[in-house]
Amino acid sequence: MHLAVSLNIASATGQAGLTFAEIAGFARKAEAAGIDMVVISDTTEERSSSPFEATTLLAALATVTERIGLVASASTLAHQPYNLARRFASLDIISQGRIGWNATLRQNSREAANFSRPESITDEDFRRRAQEFIGIVQGLWRGWDADALLFDKAGGRFHDPVKMHFLDHKGVFFSVRGPLNVARSPQDTPVLVMSGLGESDLDFGAKVADVVLFEAEGAKAAYDDLKRRAVAAGREPETMKVLMTVGVDELAAGGMEAWLDGKSCDGFNFALPADLSALDDFTGRILPELRRRSLARSVYAGAKLRDRLELGAGGAK
Amino acid sequence: MSARQMKLGLFLWATGHHIAAWRHPDSHVTAGIDIDHYIELARTAEAAKFDMVFCEDAAGLREADINIASQTSRSIGFEPISLLSALAVQTERIGLVSTASTSYNEPYGLARAFASLDNLSGGRAGWNLVTSANPSEAANFGATGLRPHADRYERAREFATVVTGLWRRSGAGHDGQSFSVRDPLDIPPSPQAAPVMVQAGASDDGKDLAARTADVVFSAAQTLEEAKAFYDDLKGRLAAYGRQPDDVKIMPGVAPIVAATKAGAQAKYDALQELIPDDVGVALLSSYLSISDLWRYPIDGPLPELPESQGMKSRQALVIEQARRDGLSIRELARYFAGARGHWRVVGTAAQIADALQERFEGGAADGFNVMPSWFPGELDAFATMVVPELQRRGLFRKDYEGRTLREQLGLKRPM
Ligand SMILES: Cc1cc2nc3c(=O)[nH]c(=O)nc-3n(C[C@H](O)[C@H](O)[C@H](O)COP(=O)(O)O)c2cc1C
Repeated sequence: MHLAVSLNIASATGQAGLTFAEIAGFARKAEAAGIDMVVISDTTEERSSSPFEATTLLAALATVTERIGLVASASTLAHQPYNLARRFASLDIISQGRIGWNATLRQNSREAANFSRPESITDEDFRRRAQEFIGIVQGLWRGWDADALLFDKAGGRFHDPVKMHFLDHKGVFFSVRGPLNVARSPQDTPVLVMSGLGESDLDFGAKVADVVLFEAEGAKAAYDDLKRRAVAAGREPETMKVLMTVGVDELAAGGMEAWLDGKSCDGFNFALPADLSALDDFTGRILPELRRRSLARSVYAGAKLRDRLELGAGGAK
Repeated sequence: MSARQMKLGLFLWATGHHIAAWRHPDSHVTAGIDIDHYIELARTAEAAKFDMVFCEDAAGLREADINIASQTSRSIGFEPISLLSALAVQTERIGLVSTASTSYNEPYGLARAFASLDNLSGGRAGWNLVTSANPSEAANFGATGLRPHADRYERAREFATVVTGLWRRSGAGHDGQSFSVRDPLDIPPSPQAAPVMVQAGASDDGKDLAARTADVVFSAAQTLEEAKAFYDDLKGRLAAYGRQPDDVKIMPGVAPIVAATKAGAQAKYDALQELIPDDVGVALLSSYLSISDLWRYPIDGPLPELPESQGMKSRQALVIEQARRDGLSIRELARYFAGARGHWRVVGTAAQIADALQERFEGGAADGFNVMPSWFPGELDAFATMVVPELQRRGLFRKDYEGRTLREQLGLKRPM
């Protein structure tokens, strides 16, 4: 059973956002309770009042936590693939292998308007562009072989030149030569989380995602469908984890056992609004309940998020 | 009345500024993958009361040739905004300045990231605006190659206008040549409102943009005369933008090598120079001269005539000037350049280095210095424990932090 908790810091609209100390305190409590990862997102169609942007927040959180996985959303409209790949590879090194990128294939109209893109980019074009983007990022992450760095002071060989690879991507939307100027990350590739998949995204998601977050509605059918598509893409189905995104109240009402017995997910992602009472409620009420049922593992299986989620190398071969 | 005091920035660069730093027996060779190394460096600088740490950046390989690249430590490192965000919560008072390119970012996203860094650090963030002159960066952002110098600066001007407008809450509704932004920034005003703006361009376009928008200017100069000419030029441009000379702090780079005796310092320098392979030195020199085939010329002969650069115009001019002035061969020039990439090098005792800094500071050539240790951590430790106390004894540098934000630290006005 894998457990995540997601915090949409941007949902703090109209009220003061959480402080860093509050978010850090929450992450440490979740870590102590054995939660696998915290997912930070910071986009809404509304204007946010959070003082933080998700990837910078993640870097800071990485230095004040030790074992918990840290995932941030970052939009494919707001960044260039080379820059985004660097940011997440760096975060993975800073956190010693605990980072994930939550990517979405759906466009946010506010972003298009603020990132100099015509507002009329079609959903289909956005999806194709996002797929190309994600492929580039993953390709850049693999640009350095695991044993490329030699650090040979006496011989004057810092790295082995044949173990560094150009990407030489030339696609419809992007052209990226590579290689990344950040070393191979501790996880080889940071964990790719995908959320908000629509019907037409499912094949792509099932091929590349390490973790898929999906809504509780129609869970069993959606779960089986995703795993079937993963197999069709040539993957071992257990190397992709499907977490059902549940609201805390929904969970309490439905009862946990029922959810689990149905085997309609590999675990849960608890979606919390970014306010103090929700954090307190979660750590005070839900976490103790998870522990009482031995659902949250307080012994961490591996130091890296990828090991912890038992994902393997990631994506279709 | 408190006498004018110098500002000090620490220019971070993984293993050190000397091209062969990583080969020094005591250098931290895994720096590019070790966050604890950077936390240590930042804390050392903070204990020494430096105003700021500064991260350079390039969105691509620095060397054009892979075999050369593999003989340097420069092909891997941290992406600086994430690096400084981590340092923000591991330090308390020191400023955190990151380079970011106007050619390969979007203003809304960059304004957000720096506002977030300013919030994480309690008002200690700064942005070093660069236009990015390296063709290998351009290749990561499209198929069209490095854009002409003037075009890059035109985009940079608009970029800076949008970012500062967003920080100051007036940048929404922008519909310009390169960018369109509809909404106000969705991050509430950060402690400094506008993070500190740093620039280092030394071309005419570069200096003009700096005069218009920068709070701090980094520069490279060999001689006092060069440094003073740059200083006067830039300060002279401020009036045209309704600014006072004191509104911009000019901080030339200095690469010190310090030891208890002059001979000891010279020996440390010589030992590092020994570690530079000729082809690495020549390649580094070529990249700053924007010429790809310098290796074709006899290494012990003079620098050939060169076409004007579309990359770093000012640094090219500086190198050519030095070669002609001192009658240096390509080999000599390359070896010299490999030590600090054209920045001013001072080798000596703490008192000698303090003398040299004092001369430029009091001689109207600098408001402070951007310190570039040859290798980490050793040369930073030496500067912090030997030179800084000497500067403090002379009343040239503060003994403790005075303000809370980087702006206050630097004695800069709050932006309107
Ligand atoms: C101290 C210092 C640090 C610099 N750091 C960077 C850097 O990190 N990245 C970069 O692309 N350029 C860097 N530069 C180069 C300049 O910012 C500038 O882009 C270059 O000089 C070209 O502009 P110009 O033609 O106006 O001189 C630096 C320059 C100096 C003096």
